[in-house]
Amino acid sequence: MSGTASTGAAGNRVSLGEFCAGVQVVARRELGAYFESAIAYVYTIGFVVLANSMFMQEFFLAGTADMTSYFQRMPLLLAVFLPAVTMRLWAEERKQRTIELLLTLPIVPLQAVCGKFVAALLLYGLFLIGSLPIVVMLAVLGSPDLGLIVSGYVGLIALGALLLALGLFLSALSADQIVAFVSTACCALLLVLLGDQRVVSVLDGLAPKLAGGTLLAESIALTPPYETFVAGSLELSSLVHFGAFTALFLWLCAHALEQRRT
Amino acid sequence: MIDVDNVTKRYGPTLAVDAVSFHIGAGEIVGFLGPNGAGKSTLLKMISTWMEPDSGSIRIAGHDTRTAALSVRRALGYLPEHNALYDGMRVERFLEFVGRARGLSGATLRERMAWCIQGCRLEAVVHKRVQQCSKGYRQRIGVAASLIHDPPVIVLDEPTHGLDPIQVVAFRNFIQGLRKNRAILFSSHILSEVVGISERLLIIQHGRLLADVKVEELRRQAAARGEELENVVLEIVRRKAPARDEVSA
Repeated sequence: MSGTASTGAAGNRVSLGEFCAGVQVVARRELGAYFESAIAYVYTIGFVVLANSMFMQEFFLAGTADMTSYFQRMPLLLAVFLPAVTMRLWAEERKQRTIELLLTLPIVPLQAVCGKFVAALLLYGLFLIGSLPIVVMLAVLGSPDLGLIVSGYVGLIALGALLLALGLFLSALSADQIVAFVSTACCALLLVLLGDQRVVSVLDGLAPKLAGGTLLAESIALTPPYETFVAGSLELSSLVHFGAFTALFLWLCAHALEQRRT
Repeated sequence: MIDVDNVTKRYGPTLAVDAVSFHIGAGEIVGFLGPNGAGKSTLLKMISTWMEPDSGSIRIAGHDTRTAALSVRRALGYLPEHNALYDGMRVERFLEFVGRARGLSGATLRERMAWCIQGCRLEAVVHKRVQQCSKGYRQRIGVAASLIHDPPVIVLDEPTHGLDPIQVVAFRNFIQGLRKNRAILFSSHILSEVVGISERLLIIQHGRLLADVKVEELRRQAAARGEELENVVLEIVRRKAPARDEVSA
């Protein structure tokens, strides 16, 4: 492989092939940890039952063959559920002291971070697969707009990736899973609610000249770019918004681990 | 193979390691002796690249721990102080994970795993989860994981902790069998274990390296004075450092 990836405080460089191999090894271990315990099964069943039953309740009332209401409810649900997926990823390593074992292997912190991120993302993918029966049901009962559904799923993946990266970062700052969960859930809810028009109005009302609510909603809130996906529009700016914040949190996480070393 | 040059480390106002220097060559087994809190683990953590020294330098197999940390980690087999393992994993899976993270795969990985399992006598627990293993087995799993990539430099922090006397003897023989072309540094606060395995002793207290002596030389001094080996070591500690702590004999 000719490409290189960055590295660690020590200034080493690893090839892209080595980087991916390290990510894969860590991801496999993390996935194993999810499935060897009851975590993956409990979380998946809990999420699927909750998300699908919420949709079905509204589906019977609305009587239309589309998933918009499903996608609209997801940000709040993910803000509570995904911190439970990430809370253990670094906090547990610190508490059990396995972090020293992991980070004295010949991998850079960013490889370990990306490996854990990939594992969490795959578990989240399983959550989303649990909603596919809804798509099948809609296709059988009516003629849903498949483009709208695909766009909604792209939005869900982008939103989930960002929240998982945020959770990983905050988990790396804490030795306690509960602290990691609460801090991630609070930050995630804040990022979601900052895009709510009622919250924007209240914040704008506090300092009308500054228009802080609008400023926050346009810069860091997650709901506005997510809603473009729900509306069926795959906008590049929204993808960049989610991609940039995801990359930022992953980098911050690796940086926090590197700082821990000194 | 292990070059520690004037290394200092502070934890806030506490001087944990104070200008320590030593060299360990290939084929040497060196014991690192000192009471709890003497600075042994801090120094070993710096050798492993887990921590960085405040000043001074450490080179492992020619690689600097600051500028070539990945090369150091590739050359090093390291057993951390608390030997924390992934409890939920099966022993075989755990060794496979460490081996793969160290770049092993295919037949090489299988051969090295078999060698480690046999050498560390893990056959009875290989399919068990780590959390189901006794303390002695856990220690041997940690040692096996540190040796999986056949490293030229081996650093073990309290490797005999939790082993019964029979296991300590087996461990001693195992480690001595690894001596050829390797530099081995291991720490302990128990003198009898250190002199039983190594031929050279580094004695550390309050972060300062008090002595770098051959075990044979200590034995000669003890025989000449008609004293126990422990008394000779204690004499060194008393002579070179304030007698706040005593090395466990």
